[in-house]
Amino acid sequence: MPPTEEKNTLVKPETETWKSDMERVGFVRRLFMARNWYGADWWFVAISTVMVFAFIFVALFPGLLAPFKFDQVVGTSFLAPGEYPDVPVLIVRSESPVEKLLDLAVPAEAIRPTVGVIQGAPAATAVNEQSKTLDAQLISENKGLRLRPRIERYVTVEELMVAIDTGLVQAGVANLKEFDAVASSYPSLHSGASITSETASAGGFRMGTNDIGQDVLSRLIWGTRVALIVGFSSSSISLLLGVPLGLMAGYFGGSFDRLLSLLMDSLYAFPGLILAIAITAVLGPSIYNVIVAIAVLYIPTYYRIVRGQTLAVKEEVYIEAAQSIGARRGEILWKYIYPNVIPSIAIVFSVNVADAILTGAGLSFLGLGMPPTIADWGIDLARGQRYIQTAWWLITFPGIAIMLVVLAFTMMGEGLMEIYNPKLRER
Amino acid sequence: MPAESLFSIRNLTVEYHTRAGDVKAVDDVSFDIRRGEILGLVGESACGKSTLGKGLMRLHRVPARITGGELLFDGRDLMSLDEDEMRMVRGGEIGMVFQDPMTSLNPVQRIFDHLTETIQAHEPETSIAAARLRAEELVERLGIRRERLNEYPHQMSGGMRQRVMISLALTLRAKLVIADEPTTSLDVIVEAKFLDLLRELRQEFGLTILLITHNIGVVAEVADRVAVMYAARLVEIGDVRQIFANPQHPYTRGLLRSVPNITLDDAELYKMEGAPPSLLHPPTGCRFHPRCPSVMPICSQKHPPLESVGEDQQAACWLYSKEVKHD
Amino acid sequence: MTPIVLIVLMIGIPSLILLLYIFIKGSMGLRRYILTRIGLTLPMIFVLATLVFVVMRVLPGDPVRSALGPKGTPEMVEHMRENLGLNRPLIEQYGVFLMDMASLDFGKSLIGGHRPIIDEMSERFPATLELIVPASILALVIGIVGGTYAASKRKAAPDYLLRIYSVVIYSLPIFWFGLMLQLLFGVWWKILPISGRIDPVIGTSLHKMTNMYLIDSLLSANWPALESVALHLVLPTVTLGLVLSGVFVRMTRINVIETLQADYIAAARARGIRERVVVYGHALKNAMIPVITLIGLQVAILLAGAVLTETIFSWPGMGGYLVQRISARDYTAVQSVITMFALLVALISLAVDIIYSLLDPRVRY
Repeated sequence: MPPTEEKNTLVKPETETWKSDMERVGFVRRLFMARNWYGADWWFVAISTVMVFAFIFVALFPGLLAPFKFDQVVGTSFLAPGEYPDVPVLIVRSESPVEKLLDLAVPAEAIRPTVGVIQGAPAATAVNEQSKTLDAQLISENKGLRLRPRIERYVTVEELMVAIDTGLVQAGVANLKEFDAVASSYPSLHSGASITSETASAGGFRMGTNDIGQDVLSRLIWGTRVALIVGFSSSSISLLLGVPLGLMAGYFGGSFDRLLSLLMDSLYAFPGLILAIAITAVLGPSIYNVIVAIAVLYIPTYYRIVRGQTLAVKEEVYIEAAQSIGARRGEILWKYIYPNVIPSIAIVFSVNVADAILTGAGLSFLGLGMPPTIADWGIDLARGQRYIQTAWWLITFPGIAIMLVVLAFTMMGEGLMEIYNPKLRER
Repeated sequence: MPAESLFSIRNLTVEYHTRAGDVKAVDDVSFDIRRGEILGLVGESACGKSTLGKGLMRLHRVPARITGGELLFDGRDLMSLDEDEMRMVRGGEIGMVFQDPMTSLNPVQRIFDHLTETIQAHEPETSIAAARLRAEELVERLGIRRERLNEYPHQMSGGMRQRVMISLALTLRAKLVIADEPTTSLDVIVEAKFLDLLRELRQEFGLTILLITHNIGVVAEVADRVAVMYAARLVEIGDVRQIFANPQHPYTRGLLRSVPNITLDDAELYKMEGAPPSLLHPPTGCRFHPRCPSVMPICSQKHPPLESVGEDQQAACWLYSKEVKHD
Repeated sequence: MTPIVLIVLMIGIPSLILLLYIFIKGSMGLRRYILTRIGLTLPMIFVLATLVFVVMRVLPGDPVRSALGPKGTPEMVEHMRENLGLNRPLIEQYGVFLMDMASLDFGKSLIGGHRPIIDEMSERFPATLELIVPASILALVIGIVGGTYAASKRKAAPDYLLRIYSVVIYSLPIFWFGLMLQLLFGVWWKILPISGRIDPVIGTSLHKMTNMYLIDSLLSANWPALESVALHLVLPTVTLGLVLSGVFVRMTRINVIETLQADYIAAARARGIRERVVVYGHALKNAMIPVITLIGLQVAILLAGAVLTETIFSWPGMGGYLVQRISARDYTAVQSVITMFALLVALISLAVDIIYSLLDPRVRY
């Protein structure tokens, strides 16, 4: 039998390969390797995280993405998605620098521009009126520019189009719908701005307009800001209050724990929305009151989870070990118990934000949350409810928006929970 | 296959699919269980003995699977049966007694219900009254008064619950009982009574018992033969007295030496060097070679086959292989 | 005999008899448990009532001024405050409040008619009841069956589909979901009614005793009324029930998954018990125990959802009453309704706990 010292040389370096692959790669690679491990749950979390960041981006830069401001009246009321108001617009050749009626202004002595219209069409009168108004404005500006176009009348749309195309007139005015009907035959022509104050989009408003003519899509985008502010603020407050209370109650126990738990359990059992209704009813509508009301609602959730976890961890042997080497109570709380509790807090937070946004929307829907000057999805839904028979888009899109945001946060929380919860792991 | 063999296991391999890779918890294990014997299966924790026990009844669920081998029970290859047929075998021909009787019994189901449900699952024509009668007779033979059948598991003591578990395994006259760590959660006195009971039952019912345990003392007391597992492989098997008197495999030797013995004069407790290997990337060749005091070059290259080393004793070690020349 | 008294008797008397029966036949452990739970309910009601008081009277904001509106002169405001006892010290107000609540003296409505609030509520409460009971049943059935099915087919297609279902449903704002259903079934395909409890014309023919129209129409064999009521019930019930089911599916699934990992499940399989029996018989029965308690806590969601559902469908229940009274600044009524809700929550909590104690033999014996 060979002596024992030689034995060690037989444990070759290659056997080190059985060290877990995990320990050899960096964090980012681990993140992607996790995809194979957790399967669908990884996708849950990944997709929802992307969605959450997208929403945060929208909330931070609504001006970038929204075509209009939320309180801007941009068109006629109750336009269906894709529908556009049949306003008279300027038609020009694509190379022409002219976009709006005012662009046709020229110095007083220069040749007057010609504008074509269809005989008898309402556009003709509109051109005259607008020109007079703008002309008066130009005179008062005293820059020497005047707007006195000469009107050429044509019998059909096609004749007008040809006239513009061949340069017989500098620009034409026709109703947008009329133009769109023949636009494909005249690829070198395009429509410019409306000559009245109503704005027109060539494609219409993608989600239609509401009862006072505001663009639904823009309001949707601006509303993201409010929703996320309410969600994050109230959840943060609940967290900051609930977590320490839970830690203390769980760790110190005693009558403090019992009293607090009684209060928290009663609060938790009570319908949140109703309590929030009561609080906002008394305090009055404002975004701060909404945040406070919702925050109160979720304190018990954090309290319960943290307290439960603390109680469980407290019984673990390593806490006894720490105590036996003389660690102070505060240290134990901070260094041992708290780190174990963090994953649960993260999960609760994401679900909490989702819930808070739902509750906030519910409050605005009932007319109790925000003052009506703020763009908010709940308010839009409430306003749209009255026109359910005629304008379906008013309630459909804000609701989808709420659903997507809440879905994103909920999915994140759900996915994280599947990954972290040891009880759900496979044996 | 010897005529007296009840269960011939050949080249059984059970794999777990884990996040870190595929693990072979049982790797190419072959042995026989003889009719009427009590076979002990010992080894350290995580050596694969529990997995083997479950595998014999094809109880594994994803992520564990049997990936190879034959299970010839009483002339039939269990691997060839479909799920319904296998379900009849479970409980009907092979029974299992679990480690912790508290958690192995349904807390919201009364005791008699456990029994009658089992009877009716296998013999649906039996009426409830008849099933109840059978259950009562059975438990009385095991020392439980029939009135106690109306109780719930939490109302009984540990020893009594364990006897209930045995009676569950016996309700259908199973031929083989697999006992997975049956005494680990019992105290010493109850354990002794339990082992006595096993012996009696073997006598009375003609049972064959596979006793899986990490407690060598239990095996010494009650088993006829013993099999030793290490790192998912079978390393030694044979008559219990022979092996205890004369262990051949270095691991078995180490195992038996590790058992604390009051009469020994040794100043220290013996402890084997090293630790059981990770089954994710096990050592090449013989799995014990990194810890073996008698290691040879060939040990790290090839896995030794099971070879006869005594009258009723086999070991898997290159020390005894006729192929290898050694001095 | 007002409807609310009738309902209280209909539910209360059988419950008390049942409770007494359980008490007498149960073991010491069970009796102790029931007494403890009843004992805990009282502090809970107390805490909730105090909460209502704090919110309504202690928080900043002057409801009286808002109630009277811009027309209220300072004398009128003072007069009303005197009437409602708002000028007394807070402690005294608190005492009076508690005594009033205990005797169910809710006072009179501040606005429009000065009807006793208890009369208003006794008309509305049955309506809410008629909504939440079917909705809960729907939610429970979908939730429990769906959740168990998902758990038994874990990591397979049905599991993921049901998880997606429960997450999506949970994220739906209930008021929006209701509106969409109205759009679909009431506006585009005009097959279901979208507001009210019963067709107004048929409604006049219905003899209202309990104010629960389903029961009333059955009792008086008024088949057209029954049909109308049933049709009107469909959309609100589906709205509330479906949204609630998302939560139940999730809870059941998690609990059944956990239960399926227990030793006794493996032991049952080892005895050759059929898989379907193992999952729906053994695992589900055990999983139901924690699920029942969790479900009890969801009463909050049920009631909150009821408020929103009632608003959308113009359902004349307590939830709609609450919202209406808030808009009207009728602060006495608001206070009373919220207290009623608190009471309801506490009682349902108690009922759920008692049911739980009957299910778990470890408590019974």
